[in-house]
Amino acid sequence: MESADGVRGRVSSPAEPGDARGPVSLAERTSVPASPAGYRRRWLANWYAYLFIGPSLFGVLAFLLLPLVVVLGLSLFHWELLSDPTFAGLANYRRLAADGDAWHSLWRTAVYVLLCIPLQTVLAVLLALLLNQRAKGMRFYRALFVVPWMATPIVLGLVWTWVFDPRDGALNRLLDLVGVAGPNWLSDTTWALPAIALVNIWQYTGYNMLFFLAGLQGIPQELYDAAAIDGATPVRRFFRVTLPLLNPTMFFVMVTNLIGAFQIFDTVYVMTNGGPNQSTEVLNFKIFEMAFRQFDFGYASTLSTLLFVVILAVTLVQVRFFSKRTTYDLS
Amino acid sequence: MLKRILLHATLVIGAFVSVFPFLLVVLTALKTQGQLGSTEPWLPGIPPTFANLSKLLRSGFPGYVANTLLMTAALTAGQLVFTTFAAYAFARLRFRGRDVLFWLYVATMMVPSAVTMIPLFLIMRDVGLVNTWWGLLAPYILGTPYGIFLMRQYFRSLPAGLEEAARIDGAGPLTILVRILLPLCRPAMGTLAIITVISSWNNFLWPLIITSSDDTKVLTVGLAGLKGGVGVDQNVMMAGGLIALAPMVTIFIVFQRYIVRSVALTGLK
Repeated sequence: MESADGVRGRVSSPAEPGDARGPVSLAERTSVPASPAGYRRRWLANWYAYLFIGPSLFGVLAFLLLPLVVVLGLSLFHWELLSDPTFAGLANYRRLAADGDAWHSLWRTAVYVLLCIPLQTVLAVLLALLLNQRAKGMRFYRALFVVPWMATPIVLGLVWTWVFDPRDGALNRLLDLVGVAGPNWLSDTTWALPAIALVNIWQYTGYNMLFFLAGLQGIPQELYDAAAIDGATPVRRFFRVTLPLLNPTMFFVMVTNLIGAFQIFDTVYVMTNGGPNQSTEVLNFKIFEMAFRQFDFGYASTLSTLLFVVILAVTLVQVRFFSKRTTYDLS
Repeated sequence: MLKRILLHATLVIGAFVSVFPFLLVVLTALKTQGQLGSTEPWLPGIPPTFANLSKLLRSGFPGYVANTLLMTAALTAGQLVFTTFAAYAFARLRFRGRDVLFWLYVATMMVPSAVTMIPLFLIMRDVGLVNTWWGLLAPYILGTPYGIFLMRQYFRSLPAGLEEAARIDGAGPLTILVRILLPLCRPAMGTLAIITVISSWNNFLWPLIITSSDDTKVLTVGLAGLKGGVGVDQNVMMAGGLIALAPMVTIFIVFQRYIVRSVALTGLK
């Protein structure tokens, strides 16, 4: 049963309270049938189970696993959609190795991720600490901070383009009031990517805060009391008690946010279309252009494979990092 | 006391930052062309105008909204039905290959959708579903591994003894699911529904790739097409944004406790 928990199961326990000791149904306990009726029931249960998971299993196989196999396979083909695909061996990978534009967009993707994730995670933890205090109106604030999460990214792209408008936008008008001349945000190679990163930070900080808030509320007060008796300062208590005990939450938030950030597309599409001067041409946008604007599906598949490998590597590094550090099991 | 004031001041500023863009959408959507330049962006244009909204409502937008509504309804219904069945089987039934299959599901949760976009398009092209409703819906309507993961966690948190009496009375898995477990699952299903509604409503890349005509064009694709359009200025774009955001904000206000609960469903305390 433990093996079924896959990646998440490797981070030990507070993350999965129900799992290790979860309820075992009657059907499980009577897994060795003693009578013909038992055999019949077991066969029936099996039959039902396959019927129940059938549709979703078809979905997983046809729309997740098959595409993954296809993309890996296609990365070995030349295919520009109008002609038939021809096997090209590693030609696409050799092209990738020498393709400065592709490495540039991987670099810009990495910069984007590094602009978003640390800031957004630190802000979310700080916000959770603020909201974890007993005071009036906390539920109201909590709700307001989460609202951005559900906003349509395409709309956010349009709204923030308007905020960043160099002449009439809210940001530069505000900067004018304090006597600062703001840059041409989205048409400036230095500022365009950070501006898009800011939209992401704005959208997800509050939602991430929810997870940290839940994590904080799961930390027993006795630990803080003990630390206080030992004379630990609040800062020390945060780094020695709070942060280590938030590891399972941190793991979940980091893994899901990094996977999302590496795939940034919508806001780039509406805000800068990859420009200016390719400064926001992140990998997922480049893949889209290669496939649906240049119709080079073979090479686009190679770029997709690159994105997959990068995301997989980053995820595995986190799994290793957190599984070493999460040794506390208080339940 | 000072601490308390500081706390609230910080929270008020933070809350303002998180609400301001929504405010800007409303303010700008109700401004005329002239008011765009002559008023500060954060102040309302007086008198407000509904010309931008009605301009969009006379274009293809009502159709895009209808398409988005239909897509959202179909995907949410599909997700709820197929996810519930699959999650129930994984959580409460015993069958050969269960653990391997579940491991497979968890692994596919990590497969980035950006990576499968191209092959998915090519598969749809092969079976002739490009620019059709089925092509638009197929990849998501059978339920997502993430949804199944959430629901399985919830099913497992229900006490094991629940089904026993019914099982002794000879009830099959279907009866047990529908009569006994489903009524207890309402909170989890509510959360799953909200998450699915929001992600379907906001979905952009897949509809952009797979659809090309107005009968299947969804709101997000229509909105992205506004940018750079002739005679389309910030006020018109924000009017479009208002059309897209208003239903989501309403859903959020009404159902926000379900959204907060999504955290608990992941199994994180």
